[in-house]
Amino acid sequence: MESSPAMRPKRITFLIYLLPSVILFAFMVLVPVILAVRYSFFNWSGGPKMEFIGLDNYMTLIKDSYFWNAFLKNLLIVFFSVFGQIGIAFVISIFLMSKVVKWKGFHRTVIFIPVVLSSVVIGFLWGMIFNQDAGMLNWLLSSVGLESWIRPWLDDPNIVMFSVTVPIVWQYIGFYLIIFLAAMQSINSEVYEMAELDGATGFKKMLYITFPLLSDTIKIAIMLCIAGNMKAFDSIFVMTGGGPGSSSTVMAQYAYDTSFKSFKLGYGSTISVGIMILSVGLIVISRLIGGKKRD
Amino acid sequence: MTKTANRISQIAINVFLFAVSLSCIFPLIWMLYSSLKTSQEFDLNIMSLPSKPQFQNYIDAFEIGKMGTYFWNSAFVSLFTVIFTILFGFFTAYILARFKFPFRNVIYFMFLTGMLIPVHGLLIPIFVEFKALGLLDKRITLIFPYVAFNLSMAIFLFENFIKTVPIDVEEAACIDGSSSTNTVFRIVLPLCMPVISTSIILFFLGAWNEFPFALVLIKSAELRTLPIGLTNFNGQYTANYTQMLAAMVIVVLPVVVVYLAFAKKVMQGMTAGAVKG
Repeated sequence: MESSPAMRPKRITFLIYLLPSVILFAFMVLVPVILAVRYSFFNWSGGPKMEFIGLDNYMTLIKDSYFWNAFLKNLLIVFFSVFGQIGIAFVISIFLMSKVVKWKGFHRTVIFIPVVLSSVVIGFLWGMIFNQDAGMLNWLLSSVGLESWIRPWLDDPNIVMFSVTVPIVWQYIGFYLIIFLAAMQSINSEVYEMAELDGATGFKKMLYITFPLLSDTIKIAIMLCIAGNMKAFDSIFVMTGGGPGSSSTVMAQYAYDTSFKSFKLGYGSTISVGIMILSVGLIVISRLIGGKKRD
Repeated sequence: MTKTANRISQIAINVFLFAVSLSCIFPLIWMLYSSLKTSQEFDLNIMSLPSKPQFQNYIDAFEIGKMGTYFWNSAFVSLFTVIFTILFGFFTAYILARFKFPFRNVIYFMFLTGMLIPVHGLLIPIFVEFKALGLLDKRITLIFPYVAFNLSMAIFLFENFIKTVPIDVEEAACIDGSSSTNTVFRIVLPLCMPVISTSIILFFLGAWNEFPFALVLIKSAELRTLPIGLTNFNGQYTANYTQMLAAMVIVVLPVVVVYLAFAKKVMQGMTAGAVKG
């Protein structure tokens, strides 16, 4: 609704309300995006010497197997998160809506706790769980007689990606759980009562009522999941630092290493631009696919 | 389905949920009691309860590990991030929700796209920008990016809310002779209390836990926030797990206590963007 002219603040007040955010946002988001694109055309290690090399960095990036492997690792995390986080959260939310479960409030409160924790702490905590010699997981395996399952969870290049994905998936189950519970509570209970009269059981109710009515929420959850996991960094940085070798180096880690360890700020910017294009691209694609189904 | 089968599936569901809940809470409980063990005791058996709980790890974490400094830095950055995000976000959203003006849609669209941009991609250019401006490694350094990245969400939440508030109240105030500034502060701002409390939770937790920008933009030990202090702690005392655990408890405890006190509100706050979007 529009305000009448009489209610309009004075021009100067108007600007005082509006400009600080616009300036700050431009200075911290728009200018950096432009800067990243600019630096991506240079060979630059942060000093006064900047050499314009045109599209050379982009040619390198397209052929850079480290970058594309890092991208695949992000996709792997997205894949497991979509099925793990959203899948498990969906199942738990169905259970929590049913009548057979006791202590509903307790489960909801506890499962959400990891969401509010610092992912650096989560990283250290799971680092201790996965620790080869003194870790909780290997302790548990040996105490139940499964010594043969004991692994160097974070030091074996073949399994390290799966190990570091577990805490990421685990941390945000509660987040999607709350989203689904909120959506389920808004479903009219008469729909279920009608279905029960027609003889629908628990599983059928889920498949034919809950799932279709929640499809919009699930689409939003998938989009959040993609956006969130394209920037996976903190807990992996803490657990493995991208190693062993580059076997758990995700895109953000690769950009960080290139810029702040090898001091290739020009190429680091190219990687950043690559990350932005791939992430926004994936989000837009998922939105298009999600949007089309609605019609 | 027979009655026994029903009963078994009921038990299975309950057991499954307890297993999930246990996986979420046990690591924290383990962290808490292990931080009270001595290093030797921890090495002997990582799962056992402390035989004689002692707080030496906490004393060391504060005295040697400088956790007190990091705690204060995190509190400072988080507090001002919340204040500025809410102030800037509220006023901008109010203008966007209530008035027509040139470039209104451009500005609105600009803030909304902000939610789409992966901020990790901005790590390097912001580092370079801050270096050029001499803004690296200052007490206020982190507040700039934190507020800016939160603005999109804050404006989105406030704008959506203000649009649902009937304009009649503001009109009545105007007729009664209330100045526009007076109306904003005395009428609109108090009406937005639900969004403000949501914002406090959302943006405080975000700033308290933020890692990559704090890692890149802050160098001196006296200005580090808790998550960075923790990684530094690990490097210096690699083998001393119990001190590390005490430091982790210091980071997590205030958040968990506040969460347990206001669980519903925190859940609402953290999922606000998703549920309303």
